[in-house]
Amino acid sequence: MRRSTTLLRATAMVVASAAIAAGCGGGSSGGSSSGGGGGSAPDTKRVPAGDTKPTGDISVCMGKDTSGIHGPLLKKFNAANPGANATLVELPESADEQRTQLVQRLRAKSKECDVLALDVVWTAEFAAQGWLADASDIVDKRKDEFIPSTLDTARYDDKYFAVPFNSNAGFIYYRTDQAPDGVPKTWQDLYAKAATTKGLTYQGSRYEGLTVHFLELLYSAGGDVLDKDGTKSTADSDTTRKVLQFMVDGVKDGAVPKATLTYKEEEARRAFESGAVTFMRNWPYAYSLGQSAPAIKGKFEVAPFPSFGDAEAASVLGGYNLAVSQYSDNAAGAAAVINYLTAMDAQVTYAEGATPPVLEAAYDEASVKKALPFASTLHDSIAQGRSRPVSPVYPQISEAISTNVYAALAGEKSVDAAVKAMDGDITKALGTF
Amino acid sequence: MTSIAPIAAATPEPGRPSPSGTGARGRSKFGRSERRLAAMMLSPAMLLIALVAAYPIAYAVWLSLNEYSVRVPGLQRFAGADNYQAAFSGGFWGALGNTLLFTVVSVSLEVVIGLGMALAMHSAFRGRGMLRAVVLVPWATITAVTAITWRSIFEPGLGFAPQLLDKVGIGGDVVWLGERGYAMSVLILADVWKTAPFMALLLLAGLQVIPSDVYEAAKVDGATPWQRFRRITIPLLMPALLVALIFRTLDALRIFDLPAVLTDGTNGTQVLSLLAYQELTQNRLIGLGAALSVLTFAVVMLVSFLYIRFVGGNINTLTEEER
Repeated sequence: MRRSTTLLRATAMVVASAAIAAGCGGGSSGGSSSGGGGGSAPDTKRVPAGDTKPTGDISVCMGKDTSGIHGPLLKKFNAANPGANATLVELPESADEQRTQLVQRLRAKSKECDVLALDVVWTAEFAAQGWLADASDIVDKRKDEFIPSTLDTARYDDKYFAVPFNSNAGFIYYRTDQAPDGVPKTWQDLYAKAATTKGLTYQGSRYEGLTVHFLELLYSAGGDVLDKDGTKSTADSDTTRKVLQFMVDGVKDGAVPKATLTYKEEEARRAFESGAVTFMRNWPYAYSLGQSAPAIKGKFEVAPFPSFGDAEAASVLGGYNLAVSQYSDNAAGAAAVINYLTAMDAQVTYAEGATPPVLEAAYDEASVKKALPFASTLHDSIAQGRSRPVSPVYPQISEAISTNVYAALAGEKSVDAAVKAMDGDITKALGTF
Repeated sequence: MTSIAPIAAATPEPGRPSPSGTGARGRSKFGRSERRLAAMMLSPAMLLIALVAAYPIAYAVWLSLNEYSVRVPGLQRFAGADNYQAAFSGGFWGALGNTLLFTVVSVSLEVVIGLGMALAMHSAFRGRGMLRAVVLVPWATITAVTAITWRSIFEPGLGFAPQLLDKVGIGGDVVWLGERGYAMSVLILADVWKTAPFMALLLLAGLQVIPSDVYEAAKVDGATPWQRFRRITIPLLMPALLVALIFRTLDALRIFDLPAVLTDGTNGTQVLSLLAYQELTQNRLIGLGAALSVLTFAVVMLVSFLYIRFVGGNINTLTEEER
């Protein structure tokens, strides 16, 4: 009796601990060893420009339809195109979850999705994996319509693997009662002003948001983390040191409240809405929400980013692109849907629902200006926007940036050590097999 | 008291007349056929274990010995111990330290608090049933939800905890989730709050099987309440306590949801399973992620082994003494 209990217990423990190992390993296992195409690039499908009449089923995989715009638009598309049936496949609301789900489908070569909505930073990564069809024909034909900076996010290896769908760029939100002169011309002056008011907050948690904000400052100071070819780290520079030192001093001097180091978008927004800070770096979505926050309602405005010293101001682009899956059986139909969703009518509809459009002309529409009172500021921010490093190992590069910037801000590493570590980590990431 | 035999040897052998090796030469035909029957009857269970445990483990080990390209689709190569080397020179040791610190502190606190709660719930008073139900609420709440709640509670400026703690002189203007040490203490607090009731419930079950006549006899002999607790409650509670301890330790070693939601592994709260997850899903480094999973598995196995080796024997002795 005694022995068998022991056996039972031992077995139970093996199973319990095995579940841990299996649980961790299981998520990624699908199809990793399949394909076997060796080192050569895969045969990339080429998407037609989408002029032909679309037929058949077209499924569009994108994040949850929280604004309720995607569904009705696709219905209108179907009504205008008898014979075609576009349907929406809703993915989770969070970008990380969307990415996980898309990666799982594409690794398994699933045909479920014809059109993929991709965060701008995934485009290179997905294209490198051979998951995206070459959409250059669509883009080349309509190049003049788009804000040029948005097209950069869709390009990889000199081809367009996606079509810009919606864009995004950060602003400085400021309290008109506490800073009646608005946002100063330079980041230096803004920090000085922040130190004498209730401060400036941004997304300072160790995640993608911190990478974005650091790059906003670095780009505007004329620095970069990768060279032109995207094959070498250029992070170890005086410019990087200067920018990071600037951020560290900001936290030390109290221009940036310490709590910022735990903030993502929503925490920063709540702090601003509660009246705790004077300035905030955030995305456009916080504007309309702020209008219904009693403490700041009617007492705030937005401005594009200042510049770093004498250099030009820069912002970092967010937003989504639309791509055609390499495994789609209906590339022509997918192209038609993409053209429809990125055409003027649809883009204006999106803008009216507060999603920033990618077409130059959309920002001049009266209805857009009404829905987005900051439309011209937004247009300028997007136009001065730059892509995050375009690389198939972008997730690791982003981690190298956010981890080391965070360590410096939190006082765990000196600025010099953090910059050196960032450079080393990026170099390591670029060397990934 | 016997020491613990290896698993294979511990398989019951009903056909054997004596426990020692004397009967080995005279194995009867009957014994052999019965052994075969036993093997047949065990085989479905063994097959199940092979499917749900052995295969995934072997597969994870295989993944950890390979590298899978993030640049070229389908490209992979054998990497030997490279992934393990990368894990050791990367975040493994730090994460292991944090995981062990978290486990030791949180489980110790849970035992002490859980025992207190169990004793309180065991004593007879009005509303005892109500209390037992209420105490379980934290345990019944989904961990991710409690984590989000704790994050709001400690949110600078908005949550009530920082102000409250500041009033009693703890923390001052500390950003709790944003600073090393403080972040870990919030993590431990959240875990203790959630799982102490579970510990209490397991211990309560242990308390309820202790016969009351033992206490009465002790009382008659003039034992003080402390002596009764020390000499009766604790020893007789030991089997339940150890089982609860094993459960909680293994649970704590694979903690994921609390740090994932509260801090995302920043400020000295990076733990093993979160690290493995991040390498696997965010960086898509399948080999490295698998290596970290295998190492986590090894740590959990080692701890389980130590428990069985040194504590498991005690449970049996105690249960026997009880009889």
